[in-house]
Amino acid sequence: TMAVCVAVIGKENSPLYVWVGSGREELHLHYLAHTGLDVIQEKVAAVNKTPGDTRELYLGLLYASEEYKVFGYTTNTRIKFVIITDAANTTLRDNEIRMMFRRLHNMYTNVVCNPFYIPGEQITSREFDQGVGALVAGN
Amino acid sequence: MSRQSMRANDPKKVSGELFTLTYGSLVAQLLKDYENVDDVNRQLERMGYNIGMRLIEDFLARANPGRCYDLRDTADKIQQAFKLYLGVSPSIGSWSPGGDEFSVVLETNPMAEFVELPDHCLGLRYSNILAGVIRGACEMVQLEVMAWFIADQLKGDNVTEIRVKFVKRLEDAIPAGED
Repeated sequence: TMAVCVAVIGKENSPLYVWVGSGREELHLHYLAHTGLDVIQEKVAAVNKTPGDTRELYLGLLYASEEYKVFGYTTNTRIKFVIITDAANTTLRDNEIRMMFRRLHNMYTNVVCNPFYIPGEQITSREFDQGVGALVAGN
Repeated sequence: MSRQSMRANDPKKVSGELFTLTYGSLVAQLLKDYENVDDVNRQLERMGYNIGMRLIEDFLARANPGRCYDLRDTADKIQQAFKLYLGVSPSIGSWSPGGDEFSVVLETNPMAEFVELPDHCLGLRYSNILAGVIRGACEMVQLEVMAWFIADQLKGDNVTEIRVKFVKRLEDAIPAGED
């Protein structure tokens, strides 16, 4: 699989969606995703200070531990996506991670366009579930 | 409708996404106001009726369709209208043996893009406005029909299907407006 954890975190920093690969330590990965938020906050603050029109949404590697690498992406509406991969997975290129975030962003946008979804709520969309499944399977 | 595709847009056209979001927010608001799925279904149909009775004028002016001699002609025109206004090409089929009933079958429903019905609204006929549009439009050309949804992809069906049934010709009667 391409990732062991995919998370969508709302603007108040509450988790809107967390997927963890089967057999993985769920609590630990939740924790890692959450600590990633601090790094995201730092990066976003730094980006805000540099002049320029376009702000990069992809934040790259937030940090790495022995077991995992944590990547982040933020939107202009303060929604954050976190993807965690095995540290041992060296075949995943930066470009591919960027693509995954782009797809995740598009999927999130589709969820928000559902008139019955209230932004800030937990995401329970079946379409989104399927999308994440395809994403982590590398499809 | 790909978000990434760039289309050369006629400046007078509204984007499909804006339309879908507008309709979605309308349905969500109706649900909040009425709280009862049957009332919402009814309101949507009524709104559709009011749209249809006006839209038919635009259709007649724009497409200048010929006179309909039988229900099959009518079905053709309805098919044309879906193409013109929604950009979809439904198929017409499932004619009743008496030739007084048919189905308008949609493989995609642009009004319901991105929509997922929550569990407490499974009785909602999300696109019921379309049934009303058909009824209202036909009434203005002296044709009384009934139109209702018999299948909806939002509910897991393979297609979205509207059934249209001929009731009677309206001779010289001025249809009463819906209140």
